[in-house]
Amino acid sequence: MKNTTFLGLDIALRGLYASQRGMATVSHNVDNTNTPGYSRQVINQKAARPMLIAGKAGMLGMGSDVVSVDRVRDTYLDDKYWSEAQYYGEWSVKNTILTDMQAIYNEPSDTGFAKIISDFYDTLQQLSTNPSDPGIRNAVKEKGIIVAKYFNSVAAHFDHLQEDLNNMVYAKVAEINNLADQIRTLNLQIYNYEIMGNTANDLRDQRTYLVDRLSKIINCQAYEVETGLKLPNGEPEKRFVVVISGKALVDHQHVVHLKCVNREEKLNFEDLGNLYEVLWEDGNTIDVKSGELKGYLDMRDGNDGIPAANGQGNTPNCKGIPYYQRKMNEFVQVFARAFNEGIIDKNGDGVLDDIEGHADGYTRSSVEGDEPSGIRFFTMLDDEGEPMDSARFIEMIYRQAEAAGIEDDPGTDYDERLVWGYSRFLTARNFCVSWDIESDPVENIATSSVAGEAGNNLNLKSILEMRHNTYMFMEGSGEDFIKTLISTMGVDGQQYSVYMGIQEGIMKQIENRRQSVSGVSLNEEMVNLVKYQQVYAAAAKMIETYAEVLDILINRLGL
Amino acid sequence: MRITNNMLINNVLLNVSNNLNRTQKYQSQLATGKKITMPSDDPIVASKALKLRTDVAEIMQYRRNADDATSWMEITEATLAQIGEVIHRFREISAQAANGTNTPDDIDKIRTEAEELKTQLIHLANTTYAGRYIFSGYKTDKPLLDENGNFNINITNDEKINFEIGIGDDINVNVPGSDLFHGGDPAAAGDESRLIKTLSDVIQAMEDGDHEQISSLLGSIDTEVENLLRVRAGLGARMNRVDLSSNRLDDDFVNFTRLMSLNEDVDMAEAIMNLSNEMSVYQASLATSAKVIQQSLVDYLR
Repeated sequence: MKNTTFLGLDIALRGLYASQRGMATVSHNVDNTNTPGYSRQVINQKAARPMLIAGKAGMLGMGSDVVSVDRVRDTYLDDKYWSEAQYYGEWSVKNTILTDMQAIYNEPSDTGFAKIISDFYDTLQQLSTNPSDPGIRNAVKEKGIIVAKYFNSVAAHFDHLQEDLNNMVYAKVAEINNLADQIRTLNLQIYNYEIMGNTANDLRDQRTYLVDRLSKIINCQAYEVETGLKLPNGEPEKRFVVVISGKALVDHQHVVHLKCVNREEKLNFEDLGNLYEVLWEDGNTIDVKSGELKGYLDMRDGNDGIPAANGQGNTPNCKGIPYYQRKMNEFVQVFARAFNEGIIDKNGDGVLDDIEGHADGYTRSSVEGDEPSGIRFFTMLDDEGEPMDSARFIEMIYRQAEAAGIEDDPGTDYDERLVWGYSRFLTARNFCVSWDIESDPVENIATSSVAGEAGNNLNLKSILEMRHNTYMFMEGSGEDFIKTLISTMGVDGQQYSVYMGIQEGIMKQIENRRQSVSGVSLNEEMVNLVKYQQVYAAAAKMIETYAEVLDILINRLGL
Repeated sequence: MRITNNMLINNVLLNVSNNLNRTQKYQSQLATGKKITMPSDDPIVASKALKLRTDVAEIMQYRRNADDATSWMEITEATLAQIGEVIHRFREISAQAANGTNTPDDIDKIRTEAEELKTQLIHLANTTYAGRYIFSGYKTDKPLLDENGNFNINITNDEKINFEIGIGDDINVNVPGSDLFHGGDPAAAGDESRLIKTLSDVIQAMEDGDHEQISSLLGSIDTEVENLLRVRAGLGARMNRVDLSSNRLDDDFVNFTRLMSLNEDVDMAEAIMNLSNEMSVYQASLATSAKVIQQSLVDYLR
């Protein structure tokens, strides 16, 4: 092959083009330095196909070609990010919620449970030293109401929190569906671009970024599978799949959404009604293993793994809202039963005894020969939110017990119907000071163990002694019980925050490595800019030189 | 390792926020004076804090109970002292009356005083403390004796009013009227008090001018004096115990308050030192970060 006249000009032009592409890529990178999920692009520059020179003189270089623009990405890091992000999501949600829950208990402080119960017992002690004093009797009522309201308020706060979490579950499911739709759209776009053998760099970045967000919300895996078909350029056809617990959320252009349905039956006895159950759109159950959604579900439903109230397996093995509601309920049930009826394990033999309780005492103006007042200090709010009086409360328990077939066993000290009734109906939500006490504390608060004895404080002392009865709960006395509850919460909170910290560290590490590989370095881009600019200038100089050469050839030669 | 701009910025943010977190922790410690603000900060401290708060509150209440017990017993003690004086005087004049040399006029004068003393004793038996009859056992709303010195209520020595001045530590604060006025035997409403009956018998003997009878009754008066001394000694012992318990409660209060403070209060010096330490680290990290993230090759290209 012979030299053609304009060959040099062509070669110089290629250099000009290659440098231009290089500069365009630099510009694109610089523009997207702060774009989340963006990976830097580099041009893949090759020497152009050379020309064979006749006479075995070798090959003549034909300048440079940009064969592709590639994104710099380490997919291993993406996989790693997705597998770790789910745990970060889960722990950060749990940590935040447990912080909220601790704020509800407000301990240690001068307004928390410890203070309120101490105040109540203090006034009872004062009453024991001056049993007939109307002022102290009124104070006992007021402090009793504060105790009851504390439990009502904690229960109400937990209810609100559970409702919030339920809404968050809904929001997160909507977000998952939204992300799935966006991924599907990108799948189609990428497929269309790449069918001719190109690489849709920026769209792929966007898709990876969507999976990043999805992986924080729920456990998912994302990968490309070969369909076995071939693209027109001979490459194998690939489709992008996102899988949650073995079932495809997105399979190329197909999406199966998740949905929230209201539970027919409560999972926990303590739950609010109509909480959402998360299901696949086609009705199949979904196993949420981790991610923010798992965090919300666990904290909303977690009851320490006890069997579910609706008989469907177990509750999540996590101490969430129902666990604390259950424990608070247990407290008020046992506390009220002991306080009112004196039914408590007195000697630690594991069997309940019936010692003197409030109902066994006498009213202030009782006279010799009177029966015990039968007045309960604590009862429950009725459906209208009004405190029940003792007679109505006990009548209700007896009636329900009869309907449920519970009978008083004459072989035991205590009345089985009462034990059953307290644990069946009393909750932290409806716990209150009885109407008898609220309406007339001066008359109805019992202190005496004998009718007509104004200075007798034996009934009250029997009740006061229960404060230090360490057989009241498995955890010890009443205050031990609450203390254990709060430190359980503290230990969990500490654990969650440690887990979150670890996960945060791992995420930062992966993110840093990603940034190290795929992030834009302005220094590097500037160096590249100078590099391409100088080549551009040099190539332009070549064209100028060729122009002069051609000028000589065309305009001056042979004239 | 390839360092990119976003890595730099992320790291700067992370470090500065970590610094601020620690600074905030010490700042809040100093502002609240407490080591922890919620249980998860340190569950052990939180759990101990709850226990100690309850303990301190309880000790304060036991101190109030002990104070109440002391006032009750002081009133009782003062009343017993007066009763003692009355009985002593009564014995003195009875001894005078037992002397056969007295004229009927003398006896009559003595008898008038003796009757006054008896009335005073009945009044003392119905002494109240804050509206409560202190000798009436559990029936603090009813007087012990009627105006004739007969029991107004049923009463036994079992009617002990106990105040709690420690966990499981009861102190008996009252003297049941039966113990003092009936020689310790149970009394039913309408029974004549043994103490008053002794006095009445002496007065009756004076009225009869039977000085031998008076003389023989002096022994009964002595029995009542001994009974009174026994009751007073018992009360004195109990008052001693309340004193000791009060002192112990005071000590406990100081100890438990100190424990509470050790458990949850911040060591100010340490916290201030930590805070200023963190502040310098924070400032250093801000100063260096500001330099590092501002510049790139762009600044030097022209």
